[in-house]
Amino acid sequence: MSKRLQTIVLEGVLLVLGVTTVFPFVWMLFSAFKPNSEIRSLDQTLLPRQWTLENFLGLQDTFDFVRFFANSLGVALAITAVTIYTSCLCGYVLAKYRFRGRNAIFGFILGTMMIPWAVTIIPRYTMFEAWGLRDSYLSLILPAVLSGFGIFMLRQSMADVPDAILEAARIDGASEIYIFHRIVLPMSRNPISALTIFQFLWAWEDYLWPYLMIDSEDKQVLAVGLTTFSGRYGTDYGGLFAATTISVLPVLIVYLIFQKRFIAGAAAAAVKG
Amino acid sequence: MAPHPSRRSFLLGAASITALVPLASCSGGTDKPAAVQDTQPAKGLDIQGVNFTYDPNTLVNNGDPITLDWWLWDSDEKFSAFADAYQRIHPNVQINVVNQPWDDYWTKLPLALQGQDGPAIFNIHNSHHENVLPYCEAYDVDLEALSQDFVGVDGHLVDGKVYYMDYGLMTGLIYYNKSMWEAAGLTEADVPVTWDEFRTVARKLTIRDGDSFQQAGFNFNTSAYVLLLGKHYQSGDNLFDTSGQQVQLDTDTVKADLAFLTDLYDVDKVGSPDFGNNSDEAFGQGLSAMTYNWGHFYGTLKKDYPSIDFGTFRTPVATKGEEPYAYDRYNGESTFGINKNAPEGARQVAQDFLTFFLTSNDLLVQLCLNYSLFPSSLALADNSEVKEHPVTSVLGSIDRYVWPGPMPATVEDNTKIAVSDVLYNGVAIDKALATATSTIDADIAKTEFAAVENLYVHADEAKG
Repeated sequence: MSKRLQTIVLEGVLLVLGVTTVFPFVWMLFSAFKPNSEIRSLDQTLLPRQWTLENFLGLQDTFDFVRFFANSLGVALAITAVTIYTSCLCGYVLAKYRFRGRNAIFGFILGTMMIPWAVTIIPRYTMFEAWGLRDSYLSLILPAVLSGFGIFMLRQSMADVPDAILEAARIDGASEIYIFHRIVLPMSRNPISALTIFQFLWAWEDYLWPYLMIDSEDKQVLAVGLTTFSGRYGTDYGGLFAATTISVLPVLIVYLIFQKRFIAGAAAAAVKG
Repeated sequence: MAPHPSRRSFLLGAASITALVPLASCSGGTDKPAAVQDTQPAKGLDIQGVNFTYDPNTLVNNGDPITLDWWLWDSDEKFSAFADAYQRIHPNVQINVVNQPWDDYWTKLPLALQGQDGPAIFNIHNSHHENVLPYCEAYDVDLEALSQDFVGVDGHLVDGKVYYMDYGLMTGLIYYNKSMWEAAGLTEADVPVTWDEFRTVARKLTIRDGDSFQQAGFNFNTSAYVLLLGKHYQSGDNLFDTSGQQVQLDTDTVKADLAFLTDLYDVDKVGSPDFGNNSDEAFGQGLSAMTYNWGHFYGTLKKDYPSIDFGTFRTPVATKGEEPYAYDRYNGESTFGINKNAPEGARQVAQDFLTFFLTSNDLLVQLCLNYSLFPSSLALADNSEVKEHPVTSVLGSIDRYVWPGPMPATVEDNTKIAVSDVLYNGVAIDKALATATSTIDADIAKTEFAAVENLYVHADEAKG
């Protein structure tokens, strides 16, 4: 098989896989503009037969969509910012500082990634309640302050920063804080971009922990709000699709902002040499 | 530049910043809307209720401002109406209605009730009886008066106390497509009363093209197990034995009932397990002319399939003119629970609000109609809106429906498996029911469940 033919076949396979992956999303997008009767009808069409904005206009009736959206955005941005910073900090320390127990600490951090979160959720709930943190945003942010995955990722990346650069900076009189913020962080933009996308997505879609912690409706997040479309006796699919369509936007925006560096970071990791 | 001291300082500083960043973005505590002082006990309002009464001309919490959280999972506006009405009488009380998603409500609620900050009141579903009962405070009510005015209070007694009861009762019935009914040449006079008549009607409503169906006369593919559990009572047998802890599914009666259902497909050819395998959707999509479901299906049809013109009739019985032991079983929608760990003031207000809730007839009617429930308040049995509602009107008297008690999920789950095995996997009826019975009995043995069929008003008529 010629190289050109191989490329065509490969691209064809990728196209099919891509369309298969994206199709449910596109179907959801168009269904958000259909009335419920059409979504549930036997005779399905991709494009709505009867276009309606009712699902979007009625969002605020089911729950305070705008408020929940803003809460989710605030919490996800705070978590992402804090996690990125602590991951960089810990990753840098573990990669570039020599001290006793360094490998044991790194091993412990890796170990935390292997414990299913469901195992820790009840003791964590009890702990946060004892601290009086229930129904506060702090209860959502605190558990995400240190990310095992983030530390691992940044530690691996920062290990590649040449020691000579750091030593040169020290010789020139740069403080450790200056070196970290002005030299190491800019050199780690690619892995930071990748982690930003992952962390924002995880924080944005996190459901059970915010649901357990937040009691007041005015502090609740969007992922919890979306579940209110499913009642005991049925689901308002139109409303759910409309809300989900809007809720996807922040994740897309974050991805569009960081995608170039995310891809560069992934490529760099793939072609290590 | 000495690296070691500055590195230590750096680490210390970094750790401090790490700790401070989330603290800076926190917002702890709850901001409850403040209520006002109430100084007017005598408001000149009528006493509500018949035997079980509520006097609104009193001060609650000595008129001091107080806030209660009320957790629920659905239709908060119907419940909010009670809170709003109560707050108009007692302006010092603020009731925050907090809507929760149904699926995880049962994870969060018991956790929240363990602490001091759980909701003062919370909606209960009796399928989660054992999960929530340890956190409930007993109702501070006159049980005799309550029993005089409401159906089934006795069934909810736990050690002589009530922790929740029913405000409305739901059961099963047949839904039929009116257009298909007319197209088959049927009239209101053809509404079947017996199962034999039902078979005939179902055959008339079936449209086939050779071996394939165009329209099922009757489709029970999703609800057969519920119908089976209900049909059981029509034969005069209880679902549980006299101990109340062993299910009676592996009996000749149930075998005959299940055989009757499968015969509708295999012999009468009025439907097929593979034609519209979700009978709710199949009915809504106009694939089948009749289906069986509980009252809530009325709301689903109205909301999701508004173009379907449907009617309802009571589940047929064996013999015309003869009242069965029971037409079906029912399950109650429960009144709210009162958090025994809530502050004393909040618990007292919750008790007062409960009495108000149970005696607010206009609001209770609206709540029941919203879910197609038969009100458990005897004062509402003759209510015109209840009598005109398409679901509650066809049930007649709720007197001939059994409440077996808070049904453990294992009963419905395993009956469903048994019916599916028979319909889809070719398992023999005997074997499927025997398996279900042994599994259910084993599961129930691990719980405190005991059926209360013996409290059914016609329990003395039971054959087994």
